[in-house]
Amino acid sequence: MLNNRRKVINKTLNQILFILALMLCWELLARTGWFPPLLFPRLSDVLRTLITDIRSGEIVGRLYFSLYLIAQGLALAVVTAAVAAVLALCSPIVSDWVQAVMAILHPLPGISVLPIIILWLGTGPRSIVAVIWFSSVWPLIANLHTGLRSVPATQIEVGQNLGLKGVRLIGKVLIPSAFPYILTGLRVAWARAWQASVAAEMVFGASGGEGGLGWFIYKKRFFMEIASVFGGMFVIIVVGLIVERLCFEWVEARTVRRWGMTLE
Amino acid sequence: MRKASILVLSLLVVLSLWVPSVAAAEKIKIAGQFGLVYAPLMVAKAHRIFEKYGVEPVWKEYGSGGAVREALISGEADVGFMGIPPFLIGWDKGCPWKIAMGFVVVPIGLVTYDPEINSLADFKPEDKIAVPSPGSIQHILLAMACEQQLGSATALDNNLVAMPHPDAAAALISKKGIKAHFTTPPYLFEELSQPGFRLIVDDVSIFGHPFSFNVGLATETFYNQRPVAYSIFVNAIGDAMAWINQNKQAAAELLAPEFQLSVEKTLEYLEWEGMNYTTAPYGLMGFAEFMYEAGYISKVPESLADIAFDNVLALIGQRAGEMSELEKLQGK
Repeated sequence: MLNNRRKVINKTLNQILFILALMLCWELLARTGWFPPLLFPRLSDVLRTLITDIRSGEIVGRLYFSLYLIAQGLALAVVTAAVAAVLALCSPIVSDWVQAVMAILHPLPGISVLPIIILWLGTGPRSIVAVIWFSSVWPLIANLHTGLRSVPATQIEVGQNLGLKGVRLIGKVLIPSAFPYILTGLRVAWARAWQASVAAEMVFGASGGEGGLGWFIYKKRFFMEIASVFGGMFVIIVVGLIVERLCFEWVEARTVRRWGMTLE
Repeated sequence: MRKASILVLSLLVVLSLWVPSVAAAEKIKIAGQFGLVYAPLMVAKAHRIFEKYGVEPVWKEYGSGGAVREALISGEADVGFMGIPPFLIGWDKGCPWKIAMGFVVVPIGLVTYDPEINSLADFKPEDKIAVPSPGSIQHILLAMACEQQLGSATALDNNLVAMPHPDAAAALISKKGIKAHFTTPPYLFEELSQPGFRLIVDDVSIFGHPFSFNVGLATETFYNQRPVAYSIFVNAIGDAMAWINQNKQAAAELLAPEFQLSVEKTLEYLEWEGMNYTTAPYGLMGFAEFMYEAGYISKVPESLADIAFDNVLALIGQRAGEMSELEKLQGK
């Protein structure tokens, strides 16, 4: 156990050192002056503008707005996926339907439906929420569906013998048993929602007052503030890492790992 | 074996990056956009004007001035066309380029269909205004109008939506999503032909006099290292413009299929009040001064020589004593 932990720390240290070395290379390469700073700004300039953008509150407001839209889109997607998966569990006919719809729509990138969504819902936060929903709902349904169906019949029967029925059977037996799948589904859905929100705003350029990080990058691009464009990308990376490393791993450590059922 | 294949692969990559730059000597890479404004480029292409001068043009089309700017910076294009504001933003940030010619003077303005909106003060927070992109000439003109009428250049920034002209025109005409569109021909003419659609602010009322909607630019490298190609660029575009001005009917016949309009409609648009294809620049300094005051750029050109090549300086002239008319028209 201790040995294992040391291994993990070593690995993390190794990775951090590598990233730091890459960052140093970036700074040195930019300082050689081989590339115009308009195309390739120094890392120090990027960090400096990032701090300015954070201090001015601009990037924080944009980040908050992005997360707010993602929360809405993801929440809707989770509800949709749960309803679809439970219905599919109850009836084999619905299960076939869900699988058919999934097979048709899953390969479609969320961003490709944007033109239609703009026509139907206009150019506002609603459209972005819709794209986020569309991007994240299919991986969620796929994982929930597989997860619920992979619960061994014996476990369900044991639950039933203990007198569990309906919602309690789902809550006590089905969800814990399918949890590794649910977690995977949420992870993929989060990643796709994050990508979709940034992509959608960069394609149609959300309105100025209510834009997230995608709009931030889009606007900085047109004002040629390349260092700020990199800064926006950094924020996206950092938030992605935080959610992945802190939130999901925290949940994983307290659930599936503790229950001894990791998929790895 | 594996090492050898990696070596071959990396050699191929290096070669593929290196070869085109050697072979492109006799070409001029031209970055344009789409629309009635770019008619001289279409004429130059159709009449093979560049070829007459002995060079081969490589035509590239982009969706916004920002994209043209990126093409010029990355070396994808030698010369390009964009509005004065995107040019100035690049100049301010250190792009090594200058103005090689004025391009067109066209009517431009803010169109709405909403009978409730009669001036900028009538826009409610939820009323969306479409412009092609932040920092575009449309955005800067709107900011100018906001400063004049509402006291702050950023008063309506929260109402902005960035949309390409065709999408925004479709949205405005179907009255969906946006309340107003800051636009240029032919979209301006198309929108104004709809019943109830009208201009609430126009170019001349904002700027005081006509100005170049677009300018042609060249990189300093291109100007210094390929002076012959540079002269050909300036002359060929001038030839195309003169032909349009003198042959409107024939120009309409040539351009109509490109815009998917009837010949009559195209002719009507070419002859619309205010349209002027000319290489003379107008309003260069006026934009710079406003953009500096409003904080979009950090410095103002000390003189026209900072932002324009010699042929442009010669065209504008420098009258001893009081400024000439054309010199005055560079300001606001």
